[in-house]
Amino acid sequence: MLIIGEKLSIIAKRVREAMLKRDKGPIQEIAKAQWQAGASMIDANIGPAEDGGESLMEWMVTTIQEAVPLPVCLDTTNYKAVEAGLKVHNNQWGRPLINSTSNDPERFPMLELAAKYNCQIIGLTVGKGGLPADAGERAAIAAEIMARAMEYGVPLEDLYLDPLVLQIATSQDHALKVIEAVKLFKEMNDPPMKTVVGLSNISNGCPKELRPIINKYYFLMLLDAGLDAAIADPKEMAEAMEERPLFEAVLAGKDIGDQRRAMVIKKTVDIIMGRTLYAHSYLEM
Amino acid sequence: MALTGVEIFKLLPKTNCKKCGHPTCLAFAMKLAQRQASLDQCPDVSEEAKRILSEASAPPIRPVTFGVGDRVLKMGEEIVLFRHEKKFVNPTVFAVEIKDTDPEERINNTINDVLTSEIDRVGQKLRIDAIFINNSSGDPQRFEALVKTVSSKAPEVPLILGTTNPQSAEVALKIVADKRPILYGANKDNLEAMATIAKTYKVPLGVTGNGLEEISGLTEKIKAMGVEDMIIESSARSARQIIENNTLIRRSALKKNFKPLGYPVINLCQREDELLEALIGALGVMKYASIVVLSSAEKWKNLALFTLRQNIYTDPQVPMQVEQKIYKIGEPRPDSPLLITTNFSLTYFIVSGEIENSKVPSRLAVMDCEGLSVLTAWAAGKFTAAKIAQFIKDSGVENEISHRELIIPGYVAILSGAIEEKLPGWKVTVGPREANGIPAFLRQRMG
Amino acid sequence: MSYTAPKETYSGKIFEVTIGTERPVTFGGENVLPFHGFEGSIPHRPVIAYEIQDVPPDDWPETVKAVYNGVANDPVSWARFCEEKLNAKAIALRLIGTHPDRENRSSEEARKVVLEVLSAIKVPLIILGSNHVEKDSEVLVACAEAAKDKNCIIGKAQEGNYKTITAAAMAHNHKLIAMSELDINLSKQLNILITQMGFPKERLITDPMCSALGYGIEYTYSVMERIRLAALAQNDQVMQPPILGDVGTYVWKVKETQASEEEVPQWGSLKERSIAWEAVTAVAMLIAGAELLIMRHPEAVKAVERFIDELMQ
Repeated sequence: MLIIGEKLSIIAKRVREAMLKRDKGPIQEIAKAQWQAGASMIDANIGPAEDGGESLMEWMVTTIQEAVPLPVCLDTTNYKAVEAGLKVHNNQWGRPLINSTSNDPERFPMLELAAKYNCQIIGLTVGKGGLPADAGERAAIAAEIMARAMEYGVPLEDLYLDPLVLQIATSQDHALKVIEAVKLFKEMNDPPMKTVVGLSNISNGCPKELRPIINKYYFLMLLDAGLDAAIADPKEMAEAMEERPLFEAVLAGKDIGDQRRAMVIKKTVDIIMGRTLYAHSYLEM
Repeated sequence: MALTGVEIFKLLPKTNCKKCGHPTCLAFAMKLAQRQASLDQCPDVSEEAKRILSEASAPPIRPVTFGVGDRVLKMGEEIVLFRHEKKFVNPTVFAVEIKDTDPEERINNTINDVLTSEIDRVGQKLRIDAIFINNSSGDPQRFEALVKTVSSKAPEVPLILGTTNPQSAEVALKIVADKRPILYGANKDNLEAMATIAKTYKVPLGVTGNGLEEISGLTEKIKAMGVEDMIIESSARSARQIIENNTLIRRSALKKNFKPLGYPVINLCQREDELLEALIGALGVMKYASIVVLSSAEKWKNLALFTLRQNIYTDPQVPMQVEQKIYKIGEPRPDSPLLITTNFSLTYFIVSGEIENSKVPSRLAVMDCEGLSVLTAWAAGKFTAAKIAQFIKDSGVENEISHRELIIPGYVAILSGAIEEKLPGWKVTVGPREANGIPAFLRQRMG
Repeated sequence: MSYTAPKETYSGKIFEVTIGTERPVTFGGENVLPFHGFEGSIPHRPVIAYEIQDVPPDDWPETVKAVYNGVANDPVSWARFCEEKLNAKAIALRLIGTHPDRENRSSEEARKVVLEVLSAIKVPLIILGSNHVEKDSEVLVACAEAAKDKNCIIGKAQEGNYKTITAAAMAHNHKLIAMSELDINLSKQLNILITQMGFPKERLITDPMCSALGYGIEYTYSVMERIRLAALAQNDQVMQPPILGDVGTYVWKVKETQASEEEVPQWGSLKERSIAWEAVTAVAMLIAGAELLIMRHPEAVKAVERFIDELMQ
């Protein structure tokens, strides 16, 4: 299981300010904390970065790799910024990961970069025609991305398929579809395709205190489906792995001697499976 | 029952030879499952597999077409009961009835109403799709005369030949068979004659029965005679019967894979009262009718029904979009306000509606953000300062207005500085966050 | 292969709600999807309430304003007209005049109107704020108290103001409309929050926010269908209150109810078009799951009632 630390994102105020000011302190502090919590890769999300994306990505990659012995996941839609990052990336601890290509023609050039720099790439199973409705549509898009990767000369072993996790608070029925998609994706090649998710999307828009709960249990269900990698909070993922035996026990109907935790697990799984309509107070029902 | 990707995969050679253009047989199977690939792309699939696949992958509700050329109408292929599950596939066809007992003036007026029914909404052309020619007199000659009239005055319009008299059917089809009309139709009394005629002229056959059990028996008999393209009518006239029968038919086809009811449904919605007729037609649109037959084509009734159909058949996964351009609301002058928003059709309608309600003539710049709403478009990097600036520059609006002020949606206030940087000489004003704040906002500025 | 009707039964049921004291009406109570009487029971037909306002409807389009010429200057004569001449089963009084951007009338003035209207009519009264979150809090609390024990509907409680309004509806024995904006999960959340305050779920009415034909109706339609499925198939109790379609106020704002035939010849007659716009919107709401409608034009109401007759025969 490859945990890619998600915390260095332009959406977080402290990180955004550090990026603006080119202040290494916060960036390296957060990178280290994620490494210590178990991340084997660090995601650098600089957003669309219309202005100065290249220098920003260079700075992020070098700043991160100064502090931690890990490869970087280059997270932006800006092609030139990705390339700038790839040029300065230190490969000794692993190859970088481009986040991402998709079925949107604007994102095809990312595959060129993956081939040119011999790095790995995430393929998000979405195109221009709107969101995929179910696991089957995601798989059809995955098939197209796989064919295109081959055309561009990117080995299928270097492609991580991302089934596009949507917010459970507004797209509840997709939670289960993504789990099904992970299972389908893996079967689409031999050796199995690699899969990845942007995990925290599932709890986007949920009350703060619920987010770790939903993230962890969703992660465990995806793990059971065969997930290979997750862009997530490494601390939450470490907690999830610790809880895993309890989680499995509850799902198997065993008594774990912790009523409250069992209730939280069951209710969260109910929501993920679509058996009950999600509401922010779902745990209190 | 449509096969899943995995089930299809089991029928493929499983050699991963890549001749179909996909890296693996399973990848190819996924595309086939979505009907985005064709089995003949695989040179090595067995005959047995081909047979199983074509039968099993037949849609639960048979696809049936009528009309020809670019006026062809498609029905069937539906796969869900509720539009939020997946898009409804083929929009309800609206047909207007003309009887061979109608006075000549009414006949001509109705034909004309059909020919002038087209309107444009959100970039789609909507119109009365077909004409239902009713052999009310029962007389083949009168029917023939009307069919001749309609097909010469409205040669492009797809037809439904409404007769239960095989003689009338023959004379009519001799004239219009090449336009692929629906022969409507067969019932328990004329079944063999009508099925034979439909087979001979290669046209879809409408089948009417008294209730669902009878209809099921009739379609099975007709299918056994070699006619497969059918549409069904189960004698549902009242709103209650329409909802009951249409629902049970759809459920039977989708949930039980009950082939005898796996056909598009036609509902006769004619009423004396025009408004009630509009409501029954609306019911048909919402509740699974493939064809709704109306008695007249008033423009106001058309507009309401076309709009409802467009709304119900919208793909829930794909937002409707309006054209990117500078819209004039009211009669704006050079000093009138200029606002900007995204091209999600709902956003456009709501924002332009509120500007209209404000009674302050304005220009609304609508930018192509692939149908995303303001906040979503911004997060997806489609509603950015650079793109907005480029759009304003390219639009030429600078030639129409005397000022250089752009009012942006309150939710993207954060972009003000960056937009002003990229549009030198322009001032950005932050407008309200919610559209319903627009009237007060615009009126206040008037002083 | 022989045909058997694929009927469905559900574990859930919609709550029955009764409003009014002198001439009470009841809606809800069905145990099937909308009008699927062939597989269950539908004890009550939907109820249509006529909308009146606390101020004259100067901003209403001519087609519908003309109906109330001469009576709409005074809420009492307006209410009486609806009850006596239009045979209204219920009346919805929208206190639009209290909106700060409009006449900004006070809660005291609103209270007075409510008392006057209540003493003039026998049918049940629905009391609606102006949809200004802060002002409604004040206004509806005052009006709920004025209408104490008359078993009215108070509306609408929203995320930003539900606490005070719910407390008032509870204290004075009214029913309550909970409104959220086209989001089924927020709708459920609001209902949960309200019931957590001790307000019985059997006295709630869910308003997922209506949209006019052509202006987002499909969003409302699908949210309503999904609410009904959760209520019946998942037995989700907090989604089992009846649903409100507040049709008139959304429909009579749109261009199709105002543009003349001269302006848009392709749209046909304004009068028939605007009435059809309201009637078709209403019917879509019924088919998706609404049991209570608020409408404006009597011709539209009549047509919808005939439609309901056919659905329930």
